[in-house]
Amino acid sequence: MQDKKERKPIYSILIEHREIPLLAVLALLLILVSIRVPGYLAKSWLNVLKNGSINMVMCCGMLCVLLIGSIDISITAILAFAGAVAGKLMGLGVIQNTFLMFLLGIAIGAAIGAINGVLMSYGRVISLIVTLSTSYIVRAFIPMDWLLGMNKVNPTQLTQGFKDSLINHSFLGLPFLVWLAILVVVVTGVFLKYTRTGRNLYAVGSNAEAAQMRGVPINRIRVLAHTICGATAGLAGIMWLAFYAAIEKGSALGDEMFTIAACVLGGVAVTGGYGKISGVVIGALMIAFIDSAIPQMGIGNSMITEFIKGILLLVAILLNVILQRIAEKQDLARRNI
Amino acid sequence: MQKVKSFLKSWEFFLILLLVAMCVVFKITDASRIAAGLQKKPIFYFANVVRSMRPYFLYSFMTLGMMLILAMGDIDISVGAIGTLSVVTLGVTYNRLAGSAEGGSPMALVAALAACLLVGALCGALNGFLVTRFKELFPMIITLATQLFFRGFSYLIIGGDTLTFKDPTFKSLSNLNQLLKFGDLQVPISIPIYLVLAVVFYFWLHRTGNGRKIFAIGTNASATYYSGVRVDKIKFWCFVIAGFMSAVTGIFFVGNSSSSVKADIMDGYHMYAIAAAVLGGFSTDGGKGSVIGATISLVIFGVVKFGLGTLFGFPDSAVNLSVGVILILSVLGPNLVEDIQNRRKVAQRRAETARLNAAKA
Repeated sequence: MQDKKERKPIYSILIEHREIPLLAVLALLLILVSIRVPGYLAKSWLNVLKNGSINMVMCCGMLCVLLIGSIDISITAILAFAGAVAGKLMGLGVIQNTFLMFLLGIAIGAAIGAINGVLMSYGRVISLIVTLSTSYIVRAFIPMDWLLGMNKVNPTQLTQGFKDSLINHSFLGLPFLVWLAILVVVVTGVFLKYTRTGRNLYAVGSNAEAAQMRGVPINRIRVLAHTICGATAGLAGIMWLAFYAAIEKGSALGDEMFTIAACVLGGVAVTGGYGKISGVVIGALMIAFIDSAIPQMGIGNSMITEFIKGILLLVAILLNVILQRIAEKQDLARRNI
Repeated sequence: MQKVKSFLKSWEFFLILLLVAMCVVFKITDASRIAAGLQKKPIFYFANVVRSMRPYFLYSFMTLGMMLILAMGDIDISVGAIGTLSVVTLGVTYNRLAGSAEGGSPMALVAALAACLLVGALCGALNGFLVTRFKELFPMIITLATQLFFRGFSYLIIGGDTLTFKDPTFKSLSNLNQLLKFGDLQVPISIPIYLVLAVVFYFWLHRTGNGRKIFAIGTNASATYYSGVRVDKIKFWCFVIAGFMSAVTGIFFVGNSSSSVKADIMDGYHMYAIAAAVLGGFSTDGGKGSVIGATISLVIFGVVKFGLGTLFGFPDSAVNLSVGVILILSVLGPNLVEDIQNRRKVAQRRAETARLNAAKA
């Protein structure tokens, strides 16, 4: 009896670290793919990282927004808009500096994110409606005559230095694209875990009224979270432009669902107040991994990845709830209730 | 008198004003363009507007389903994917049943339509089941997951291909987009069907106890539960109806898209449905809104798109922009008005207490 009390039940460990089951599923998938396609991992790990890094950057912003119990579905619209503006400016020869491009993207994204935040917090409009509207509005600007018109940003409009900046420069064997994603992840992680403002995001998300009583400026925190999310989306736009060397009005249309999916897979609670950067990283890796691995396995038609992603997300969120329920039951049983 | 007053303050009245204002603006533009010699005949007149409503009333059925769910305080973003999946089912079933029969077979079409509607309802049932059984999860997350699942399922069935139907039986679906003639007026078929359905929904939602329960759930679900309403059962059936309505939208959509079926045919359509319902006074908080408001807002969206698109010659993007702006303002405006009213009340109270204190002293 004494022995039992000291040991933590396995369920509670699983609940505390929601990323453990996810890691297990990821490992299982890896093993399956490796059996089917020998040498898969050695060949494509770099591709997985490269293709996943843009989504990873957006996931970090999305995490901040989900933590305060809000949501942002305008991120891919911001991505396309920031990329289009920056690409157009580079095509016109206004900006030639690669570094400035990134700054511009972040600034554009942050501005739109801040508008989202102000409307959502001070205007008390539900974030889903706000970001739905801004995604309409922002995406509508791209095909305007003063921006891209019916065209798209072509590789010829971009400087060679900019195109090379993320892909062809590498450090320790990883291209700068991946390093940029790692940088954003680390900064977000440190910000959320070790700074007062970062902890305030959790406070606002778990109980806004209590946070206000404690003196947290909840509206300012909400605006901040949306600004961060917009900034990461803007950064992702420039990364997209540098990676694919092209952007058009329909770029990344509908991909915001996969960003949210990666966060949810990583155990972020959409009610706000719960979520870790480590889970989000695993979730984003998982999405990138499925995108790359499933087509190589040669089962069904090429579109089966969509199906598997859908099933996986459904199973993951349901499993989370079921585990939680079992844990609660076990808790009650141990207390003889 | 009281009734008139409350009507003047209602959201529907505001929507009507908005619609009238828009019509006036478009009418004036129309007249000035004729005066300037840019066009010969007027474009913006009643019969023409009604005739051009066809593409904008496609998603009206989806809006009806979305209304129920928003009234309960939930949200369903999988309706577009449900529509796609049921349309894909329609195409595949018809292909399988009709085979290579010459000219197609009407029986196969009926069976395929039944399968399509059934799949829509079943998808809705899956949503409803998950939402009522897993209350810890937001309906938004559940329907996000089922959206990916349904979309994936339609990709699984037909891959990236496009199914195109040439035979006359299947082509008869495009009759759904023909114009009915009422004297001089040419009305798209979807409008009378929508109006009949809207009247049914109106009486159900606003005039029967069963319908009022839906709004009660949206206002306070647990209070409703403890007053003896079977919340889960109502929720489940509302999701089923929403799924069914998206399948109906899907059928109209196939008729519109020259009888071809693709696995991304209705992607993103949930947004139009949500936008129309929210402008109609529904809110994701639940417990608000009316069928009349939603109908007017559908008309508003149609008029905006028609007016901006054909009159001013704006591209689709500008139309989307105006949709976004209208949507934000329609939610932001009432909030701001409420804020101002509250502030005025507080100021009044303060002035009163100050006066009383002064009188005491």
